[in-house]
This record gives sequence, C-alpha cells and structure tokens, in this order.
Amino acid sequence: MTQDYEVEFVERSDREARFLVRGISPAFANGIRRAMIADVPTFSVDTVRVIENSSVMFDEQIGLRLGLVPLTTDLDDFEVGDEVTLSIDVSGPETAYSGDLVSSDSLVGPADDNIPIIDLKDGQRLEVEADAVLDRGREHAKHQGGVAVGYRHLQRVEVVGDKGEFEDDETHILRGVIEEQAAEHVDGDADDGDLVLTEEFDSDLTKRYPGKELEVHDVENAFVFHAETDGSLSVEELTLRAVDSIRSRADELRDAVQL
Amino acid sequence: MDLRVIEKEETMLSIEIAGEDHTFMNVLKGALLETDGVTAATYDMNPEQSGGQTDPVLTVKTDVDVNALDALEAGADRVMEKADDFDAAFDAAA
Repeated sequence: MTQDYEVEFVERSDREARFLVRGISPAFANGIRRAMIADVPTFSVDTVRVIENSSVMFDEQIGLRLGLVPLTTDLDDFEVGDEVTLSIDVSGPETAYSGDLVSSDSLVGPADDNIPIIDLKDGQRLEVEADAVLDRGREHAKHQGGVAVGYRHLQRVEVVGDKGEFEDDETHILRGVIEEQAAEHVDGDADDGDLVLTEEFDSDLTKRYPGKELEVHDVENAFVFHAETDGSLSVEELTLRAVDSIRSRADELRDAVQL
Repeated sequence: MDLRVIEKEETMLSIEIAGEDHTFMNVLKGALLETDGVTAATYDMNPEQSGGQTDPVLTVKTDVDVNALDALEAGADRVMEKADDFDAAFDAAA
C-alpha cells in the first residue's frame, strides 16, 4: 500500500520555511522532526590549535565561540567524521568576525560573516587553526542543522453561529495555519481551502470572523512543519536528509532481520 | 545495526535494537501497527538512571498465520516506503 502524502509550502525563504504535509501519521511526523534536529550532520569547529591568542579571553572560550559558528555543509561530498581545516588571523584594534575565517575547502565556510568572535584591542592578536568536523546534533548541539524545528496540526475554523448580542468581545488567539472553511464570513479576499497563516489576522480569530461563534478543530494527519536552519543547509536539504536517515535505518534493520 | 533477540516465538518477537532512539523506534512502531497481521507492537526504552537497559527493546505480536520476524521485515519495508513517498511528495512541492 502506498502512502498518499501531499506537501504544500506555505512560506519559504533561504533558511526558514513552513510546509504542510497531509496524510502523515503523528509518529512519522515526529520522527522527521527529531531527525531534522539530531540526525542531519553539519560541520562545526571541533579542535583548535592556537598559534597566538593575546586577546582577553582564554583559548577555550575562543574555541567554544568558533565551534558555534555555523559552517556551510555540502552533504553530497562529505561524510560523518570528515574534517576541514579553517584558519583565522586578526590583529587589533579590530573585531574578529566569523567572516575572517579562511577555509581550506570552498564548500565549507562560515554561513554568516558577521558573527563577532572577539573584540581585539591595540596590540592584541588572534591566530588560530581550527579543524571542523562533520557530525550530528546528537553528539553536540553545535552540529544541529535545524535550530527551530516543530510542527502543529493544520486547523479548521468552523462558524457555528452568531455571537450573542451582549457577549464580551474577548480575543480568540490562535497560532499556526488554518485551512479556510468559512470564506463567506471573511471580509475581503478569501476562498475555501486557502491556507492562511494566523499572523495575517494578528492571530486573533475575532478579527477574521467578527461577531461569530467559532469552533476550532485539528485536521487529522495534516501537520504544518515550521523549520529554521542555521544556514549550514537549506530547509529542503535538511528535511530530505532527515527522511533519508530514517529510511537508511529501516533499510539496515531489514538487512539485519533477513540474516 | 546490532540486533539481540531476547525472546522469539512463532507469533511473538522481543528484540533489542542497539544504537537506536525514539526517532526511529516510534516511526517503526507506528508502521508496524499499520501492517497487516500485527496485533501488537511496542517498544520500551529505559533511561540509564533507572538501571534498565539503554537500548530500545521492540516487542511485536502477530496473528497466528503470520511470522513475527516477517512482520518486522514488512514493518521496516513500510518505513522505507513512507520515506520514499514523502521524498516524492516533498520534491513535487519544492
């Protein structure tokens, strides 16, 4: 039996996306979410060789900061455990930024150039060689590609009647994405079946359906993923790699069972 | 992936799957429950501090005419199928 998944992007940019998946079980959705956080490897500085550090911070502190700089990762060309060396050499008075890191491999480099490492005063200097290693978020949070990954049920708002004349006009806050089912009650442009981010109406249902009595229902097996990456991978890559990691484990299990 | 069989009968299988966590086990359990002939599927994972095992133990029970090991294989197949279908749907949207 094949699964009928349906994917639709609600919002999409370089590092952040919201996409709706229909027909997915909660177990599988959560598996994907967990894999996106902990199982998709990214490069991070893991070992540093300090040549000169006359800054006000200890070598270890510099090492930690370098480790937290997201590095672009091309998973087609590297596998877990691979190392790439980067170096940084900055003399004060100047601030050392992540953009000052020079990589030995053009595929691996800082995802952002403007992360401050340390402010160097006159006469201070930082020269470090750093080995970045490809590993998983399970090993250390610095290897997490997905920094904010979650999902919510797709929601459906039902208009069940009018509000009583003397009822309080309290706000009705709802977050996430709704699937329009009552377009005729909405001021302005709306069609049934539209996917609407609640931010569009200030996350307040009374602004979209003024004076109406409402009921909100979760749509079964329809989840809206919201994923943000640290820049080392795109959201698409992160998602596909996460699914792939689950698949490869199932493959491994099947082979092990067959023996 | 290291497997250690704890108990095995024709329609019941209890197996330790080394190195896995909730990420994969819950997906597998979910897939097993959707598989024909499987009457029960669960996994148990104790935190290290409780003095239990740390690797998850999967338990599957099946109908009389279904071999538990075959069912596990079918469950793994189903996970792969799900992954492939998700990939296809995601690629179509992306």
